[in-house]
Amino acid sequence: MSDKPGPKAPEQDIVLRVNDLHTYFYTDLGISRALNGVSFDIPVGKVMGVVGESGCGKSVTALSIMRLLPKSSKIIKGDITYFRRPQHNGSAGASDQIKQKSENGQQGFWIDENAGKVQEIRLNDLDPMGPEMRHIRGAELAMIFQEPMTSLNPVYTIGDQISETIMLHQRVNKAEGLRRAIDILEKVGMSNPKLIVGNYPHQLSGGMRQRAMIAMGLSCHPAVLFADEPTTALDVTTEAQILDLMRDLQAQFGTTIVFITHNLGVVAQMCDSVSVMYLGRIIEQTSVDEIFYNPKHPYTSALLNSIPHIGSRSKERLQPIRGVVPDPYSKIVGCPFHPRCNAFMPGKCDKAMPAQTVISPGHNVRCFLYSDEVEE
Amino acid sequence: MTTTAAPKVSDNELLLEVKGLKKYYPARGGFIRRGTGTVKAVDGVDLFVRKGETLGLVGESGCGKTTAGRTIIRLLEPTAGEIRFNLAGKGWVDLAKMDRRHLQQVRPHMQIIFQDPFSSLDARMTVERIVGEPLVINHVASGQALKDRVAELLRVVGMRPEYMSRYPHAFSGGQRQRLGIARALALNPSMIICDEPVSALDVSIQAQVLSLLEDLQQKFGLTYLFVAHDLSVVEHISNRVAVMYVGRVVELAKTEELYYAPKHPYTEALMAAVPKPDPRRRDRPIKLPGEVASPLNPPSGCYFHPRCRYAKSICSVETPPLVEVSPEHYSACHFSKELTLRGVSTK
Repeated sequence: MSDKPGPKAPEQDIVLRVNDLHTYFYTDLGISRALNGVSFDIPVGKVMGVVGESGCGKSVTALSIMRLLPKSSKIIKGDITYFRRPQHNGSAGASDQIKQKSENGQQGFWIDENAGKVQEIRLNDLDPMGPEMRHIRGAELAMIFQEPMTSLNPVYTIGDQISETIMLHQRVNKAEGLRRAIDILEKVGMSNPKLIVGNYPHQLSGGMRQRAMIAMGLSCHPAVLFADEPTTALDVTTEAQILDLMRDLQAQFGTTIVFITHNLGVVAQMCDSVSVMYLGRIIEQTSVDEIFYNPKHPYTSALLNSIPHIGSRSKERLQPIRGVVPDPYSKIVGCPFHPRCNAFMPGKCDKAMPAQTVISPGHNVRCFLYSDEVEE
Repeated sequence: MTTTAAPKVSDNELLLEVKGLKKYYPARGGFIRRGTGTVKAVDGVDLFVRKGETLGLVGESGCGKTTAGRTIIRLLEPTAGEIRFNLAGKGWVDLAKMDRRHLQQVRPHMQIIFQDPFSSLDARMTVERIVGEPLVINHVASGQALKDRVAELLRVVGMRPEYMSRYPHAFSGGQRQRLGIARALALNPSMIICDEPVSALDVSIQAQVLSLLEDLQQKFGLTYLFVAHDLSVVEHISNRVAVMYVGRVVELAKTEELYYAPKHPYTEALMAAVPKPDPRRRDRPIKLPGEVASPLNPPSGCYFHPRCRYAKSICSVETPPLVEVSPEHYSACHFSKELTLRGVSTK
């Protein structure tokens, strides 16, 4: 069996492939190994959930792909391949601009011979601040963040901030940018978009700010939208409305969404497939139904047993996972979950890292209970 | 609105009874900071807590649940209302009218655990001083006896006594929350107000702390007022639940009844909104138009009427009191008896 994740889907069906990604942070306390070999394929038009507790690397995965990592960190190893489809290839105008800027013989992804074909772009080879990456970021790969108050600029109006993205990527004038901003605000369910474009972020409620963030993320019809805990800061009734909105928009635009969250309820409600992360690795990956009804990795089951299930009418005791998530500076030999695992096999789990193994079609897991295969 | 959530239970069973509790803040605005109105953070809360039970207090941010909790324990000065507390051996006292000196005698019986385990422990104090401080202030123990008691408390919350000389920064969020619990337990209180005790913790750590709270309740016969916004957690831990909306309790009932047969339209919307951890139960939420009403300028009549899908003309005129609509089930809605509302769907 292959140690690569899942069955390799034909490239027509996937939009982003991450292979053996390692991202480290260099801090005063030492090297923090945030990602230790993350691999997955994101299928077109689906919602993929990434779950895990704080520090498991779920946000760093998105930031690595978006090439938005802080200076203290580095992608050490691995590939991030974006399969660009013609309909996402920005506007011709914007591409012209870039062509002029970087005409020194570099391989250009905008070359017209490629029109109509799926192009493979290795994002990890691009300069994070270079013209190609800046062309892709925002227009083709977009991201919305957890706290809309800190990710919106307080001194610009909502209209300015959304139209900036549109003007930059679609090369339209200010009036047209603003018109499109109003249009997209209406699509995300803002009741009075003409008024809202003139408002500053502090004038909006938390739910409305998050709607504005989603509008900004969707304004250029991206191929993939990374949603990093988009509802965590919101109240439960607002959260329900935002999730409902994202479901509707997903159905309408067919946007591929990577949904990063720690909330298993949100995962169950939103996602088609799920990747469970622990200490910088994906430990289980399968459909949302399999995760909740047929979990294989001891960590996945333990996580499900440790949360209170609303509506289960049971008063049975929760089964906490013992211990705490180890700090990312330490290097654990063997499976990173073994010190907390109920199925720990001494001499095995603490000696080597289990490989990511396919146990049934579309279901892969990293655990010695299912395969003796070791990661090299 | 001061009304009729008068419990029909005998006084001996009760530990706490809150009547018409109000906490107003002056709102100031403009260059010279003149008063521009009143924020009615808590606007007439009625509830009661029985000995040994857990009463959940839920609501969305800004509904006044934390303010209510802190006013009950008199960390905040109430604007009006009664806070009757059944003091072991001394009978009923009204905390709302007590002065500092008398309050100090009551405080050992009622303690609080805070939400954020990072800001609720003094970073410059050792664990021994943090957990032992209540014992020192109340002259309960000193010297070796103090050390022994702190060690015992640490063991009770599942921590090693050797940690006594360490500082809070050496501990994880879950461990710090355990220290906060140890401090609250130091004086053998009869009641603990738990103010969002697990919402700052990771999922796997939440379960550890919730289980610890359940164990301690059994062991010491504790009574909890559990303030939280997570409806799944509240369902798990509470015997009864009170739902707050814009400073008022709108529904109060046994957990089962409140979750599966709610009587207030706001409770119904809350229950429908919780994302259920089950991909085979994908319900559409109930659309609540508009935003939560502002406690600075609440709407007339029932505060929930502008967002309520069952609202009729009376709702914008008359404020519905919290009344007992069926045994032990209180609701503040004009139509509680007529409406059939949807609760949490079960498997």
